[in-house]
Amino acid sequence: MITGMDRLTAAVNGTTSDRIPVFCNLIDQGAKELGMPLKQYFSKGEYVAEAQLRMREKYGYDNVWSLFYVGKEAELLGCRRIIFAAEGSPNVGEMILKNYDDIHKLQVPDDLTGHPAFEEPLKCLKILRKEVGGRYPICAYVTASMTLPAMLIGMEKWMELFLLGPAEVRDELLTKCSDFFRKEIEAYRAAGADILVYANAFGSTDFIPMNLFRERSLYWMKRDLQPGGTNGLVYYCGGARMNPVIDQVIEQLGITTFYLSPLDDLAEGKKIINGRALTCGVINDIKLIDWSKEEIRTEVKRMLAAGMPGGKFLFGTLVMPYAIPEENIRTMLEAVYETGSQ
Amino acid sequence: MNELVTATTRKFTEAILDTDRERALQAVQYAVDQGLMPEDVVFRVVIPTIDRMVRSISENFGASLAQHFITSQIAAEVTEQMIPKFKQRKNVIGHVVIGTSQGDFHGLGKRIVTGCLKAMTIDVTDLGLNVSPQRFVEAAIEGKAQVIGISSMMIHTARGETGCLRVRKILQDAGMEHKIKIIVGGAPYRYDHELYKMVKADAWADNGIEAGEVISKLIREATS
Repeated sequence: MITGMDRLTAAVNGTTSDRIPVFCNLIDQGAKELGMPLKQYFSKGEYVAEAQLRMREKYGYDNVWSLFYVGKEAELLGCRRIIFAAEGSPNVGEMILKNYDDIHKLQVPDDLTGHPAFEEPLKCLKILRKEVGGRYPICAYVTASMTLPAMLIGMEKWMELFLLGPAEVRDELLTKCSDFFRKEIEAYRAAGADILVYANAFGSTDFIPMNLFRERSLYWMKRDLQPGGTNGLVYYCGGARMNPVIDQVIEQLGITTFYLSPLDDLAEGKKIINGRALTCGVINDIKLIDWSKEEIRTEVKRMLAAGMPGGKFLFGTLVMPYAIPEENIRTMLEAVYETGSQ
Repeated sequence: MNELVTATTRKFTEAILDTDRERALQAVQYAVDQGLMPEDVVFRVVIPTIDRMVRSISENFGASLAQHFITSQIAAEVTEQMIPKFKQRKNVIGHVVIGTSQGDFHGLGKRIVTGCLKAMTIDVTDLGLNVSPQRFVEAAIEGKAQVIGISSMMIHTARGETGCLRVRKILQDAGMEHKIKIIVGGAPYRYDHELYKMVKADAWADNGIEAGEVISKLIREATS
């Protein structure tokens, strides 16, 4: 039986399998799958692992996730208040850095694996590894040093500090966030994650101008990735566009998988990548809430026509909104399985 | 004096595109020292720079979020410095209440819009984060605002029953729809350009800079 890992390996190597790999990122939907509120669902690694396994089995796509919610990283750095919604992703409800003095006091935990906030994700990873390890890629979500401060001090204050300084305070925070990143990615790798989604909105020129990307983003990304390397790493800008920076990221960081934005021109992205890396074409999954079946099929066909020629391609989603009807998820996946067969 | 306006606008715009606050403020200070009137700084340098930014965005997607942020902050800062020096009291174009939808704690877009509105001499009441629909409407009525601005970063806070949909319902029930318009913005609207209709807003804006222009139109509609 062909597994998700077989399909991914074929795509990475530029060979063919039965079809292109499909990464469908169902995170909050796990609660619906188990019939429980989101807060209860995210309280136990066993729940998250069980739902991930069930949903992958049910829909037939190729990946599973160890991600609970993005705010977990803030919890690992001291946040104690997460606000759970009834039908959407949890929010960080408390910024742990209220002023510059808090930045000086911020301490990166020595051992993340022993941290209470990491206990349940580790349980989840252990189960996933036991059940599907080596057969289906296990994904983890790691936020880059440039973007993590938004969860700690708030995006407004971070943008202000990032652009207006004081530079020494900004760099102190970035250094701490980069140190945290290095520990986090190491911990996920040690626990069995195969795919590390490197999330960095500040790695997109939708967020910062090109001069700052060159001066700062590349510098901090190099620092983040220097000890552990880029094996299994996926470049992802949180849904922001990346085509203008792909060349530099390949040349200077050596990253070999690009998870484009739905707003990127997919054919252009593949042309820029030009066989040097794996391209993931990403559907605009907000539209999946309301699209008709025909609209979904048309969009999938359009994307695959742009992405499949030349190989080294997979199909992906962003973080699928909770409100997408199950039949629309099925319609999308069936269309990819059919059109994406090789 | 026209030459001074042209030169100042060019230096000011270049500094903003480089996200260089100090250089932008220096350009304005130099112009004032050379005798440029405070009214000219606002209406012939700052506001045209925002307009130009809007055009550049619509033409080639050329400006980043950081550039929007710096534009709005510097424009607001310069305008607030200049207004007390105006020879005549400024004419306020209108009043906007703004906040993020209930359950949403992402305030950057709101802050960019607020900065631009201040620079355009529009009064703004910032209601902050996680604002209930009732609070939006109460504040708009109390402050005689023509526009309610609702920013949402997450799809469930944009589409949910405690967001714009509820604000619309309260305005309808109060018979205030013709007096108070609603604009929405934030990431979900960028991924679905029809979403603003679904949540029953009057308009949306793709980014904080463009929002200033759209809100000006809504104010004119509400007061006509």
